[in-house]
Amino acid sequence: MGRYVIRRILQALLTLGIVLFLLHYLMALSVQIRGNPALLFFGGDRTPDPAMLEQVERLYNLDNSCYERVGDPCITPFVERLQDYVQGDLGTTLNGNRDVAQLLSIYIPNTLRLFVFSVITLVAVSMVLGTWAARHRGRFIDHTVRGTTILADSIPVFLILLSYVYIVAVPLTRWARGIWGTESFMGQVFRPNYNPDYPWTTIIIPGIIVGTVGLATMTRLIRASQLENLGSDFVRTARAKGLKPMRITIVHVIRNSMIPIVTGIGFLFAFMLSGAVLTEGVMGIPGMGRMIFQAVQRQEGNLVIVGLTVSAFVVVFVSLIVDLLYAALDPRIRYE
Amino acid sequence: MSETVRVIGDTLPGADFNAPLLEVDDLRVEFRVRGQRIPAVRGASFTLEQGRTLAVVGESGSGKSVTSQAIMGILDTPPATITGGAVRLHGVDLLEQSEETRREVRGNHIAIVFQDALSALNPLWSVGFQIGELFRVHRGTSRKDAKLKAVELLDQVGIPDAKNRVGDYPHQFSGGMRQRVMIAMALALDPEVLIADEPTTALDVTVQAQIMRLLKRIQAERNMGLILITHDLGVVADVADEVAVMYAGEVVERAGIRDAFKRPAHPYTKALLRAIPRVDTVGQELEVIRGLPPNPAKLPGGCPFHPRCFAAEDKCATEVPPWIEPAEFHGSRCHFAEEVYTDER
Repeated sequence: MGRYVIRRILQALLTLGIVLFLLHYLMALSVQIRGNPALLFFGGDRTPDPAMLEQVERLYNLDNSCYERVGDPCITPFVERLQDYVQGDLGTTLNGNRDVAQLLSIYIPNTLRLFVFSVITLVAVSMVLGTWAARHRGRFIDHTVRGTTILADSIPVFLILLSYVYIVAVPLTRWARGIWGTESFMGQVFRPNYNPDYPWTTIIIPGIIVGTVGLATMTRLIRASQLENLGSDFVRTARAKGLKPMRITIVHVIRNSMIPIVTGIGFLFAFMLSGAVLTEGVMGIPGMGRMIFQAVQRQEGNLVIVGLTVSAFVVVFVSLIVDLLYAALDPRIRYE
Repeated sequence: MSETVRVIGDTLPGADFNAPLLEVDDLRVEFRVRGQRIPAVRGASFTLEQGRTLAVVGESGSGKSVTSQAIMGILDTPPATITGGAVRLHGVDLLEQSEETRREVRGNHIAIVFQDALSALNPLWSVGFQIGELFRVHRGTSRKDAKLKAVELLDQVGIPDAKNRVGDYPHQFSGGMRQRVMIAMALALDPEVLIADEPTTALDVTVQAQIMRLLKRIQAERNMGLILITHDLGVVADVADEVAVMYAGEVVERAGIRDAFKRPAHPYTKALLRAIPRVDTVGQELEVIRGLPPNPAKLPGGCPFHPRCFAAEDKCATEVPPWIEPAEFHGSRCHFAEEVYTDER
């Protein structure tokens, strides 16, 4: 078990290192091909004073000559940046000189809240529907569940978001405020946009909407894995031992069908990151998805790298957790 | 072995100890698939007494496993339905009992060992947990005591170093050892009837013999009734007391083991015996039964064996043969049972 954990952690670190380097290399390439972003500081076409330009380049860590050679991997700035990260220095934004670490402390919690609600929605709804469909295999309920989830999954997230914001949210909020008042939970929960005074309440609905991404995949996964276990020989053995159906389900079916479910959650987590970009944009949530999107638009190289590093870290971390959960669930993986 | 004396009437109300241990009487099971009714067992009857071994022999698809699962009450319903007959344990018809009583019977009175122990054991729980589960669920034993009981049982079925292996998982055992774990699990609550459903089919020949010896030893020690389901007549010869031969869902011959081997009264049994390779037939071509086992959805009329039978005549295709007993305790479902028995056919 110990060796397994250590190996998985080392693998995760290696993956993260490769992702960070690729990110860095892409950014370096974009500087090399597209031109010096430090020029933006001086407002487009004007040719700045070389001394001042050098000063600005130093400020943004662009003063290395490797940025002038196309294809150069720029190892020195990469190592310097990693050293800065280790020391907790994430750099600043291009304009306004805001500290990126400080920005993250605002954006990360919002995205995490969004994920909390969407994962809860995804797991709870798909578990219930998948189990229900498995139990009524081949009958009306099974077909209905599978049809409905496919329908929900095939509607793009932005369409759900837009129809919620422009059709449902306003009348619902008005109605709820008439009964419970503006400052109540009900008065805030249906808002079409984020309210910094109610950071949890106003993220519930967007979280649920992001959670519908992958609902069909997850429901089918759960249905299939439960069916497989329900018809298995060891469930027959469990029945031959005189166990009650409830105990058979809890002890001999659910744990065995957890492995594909855990895989699915880890896999969908990466998908939800992209759902988060749209949702945070439409619902006005100051989160990581929106931050990265805006950073790309404004050529905020450092911000893009930091943002993507954080999301890469999250994805690698979630897959590490998934791997460790495997080992906890299945002894055959533990002792490979 | 156990500290408390178990009263059978506690878990099986109405048990009559003068009645045979287990009596299967005209058991019928059907499968309903896409609106079609397919008979899997069409009137299986046999009796098992305490301390005896009954071998149920037949080709795959002859209904032997379905019969054993019907006795246990673990058939998947749907698609399977028991459409008639009785399964009497100590005179109590199990088919008429509540689901709760049947659950008590499973494990406490009748236990089963399946063919493939690797898939029949849950891969995610230690063998100790899976054996101990029986004590915990049926006897309310604590987790710790259940584990001690599991060690004791593993030791009894000949697993070396049982104390240290009780926490191991099924995949860490070899095939033979896994089958021993299955047997230990079946023996846990000291059942009166043990059904072994092809217990050695998935094993190597040398391990097969060990497992058979183990089953035989345990049966003698505990004076259990053992139902040995197999398609291999060779396995049966040394261990069984009686044989029930099944064909197309019915018992076609029932006899003591010696009688059945020496003087079979059904052409099918006779043909099966001829198909066993023997030392004195080395070099000769082995006899086979021509044709294939019938499709249970489209059984031939009359005697279902007639298209493959060496002794068949016209009436075999039209008339269902009666149960004929050419000798005491020896019955056969064949029009010509007497002639086959006396070797005139």
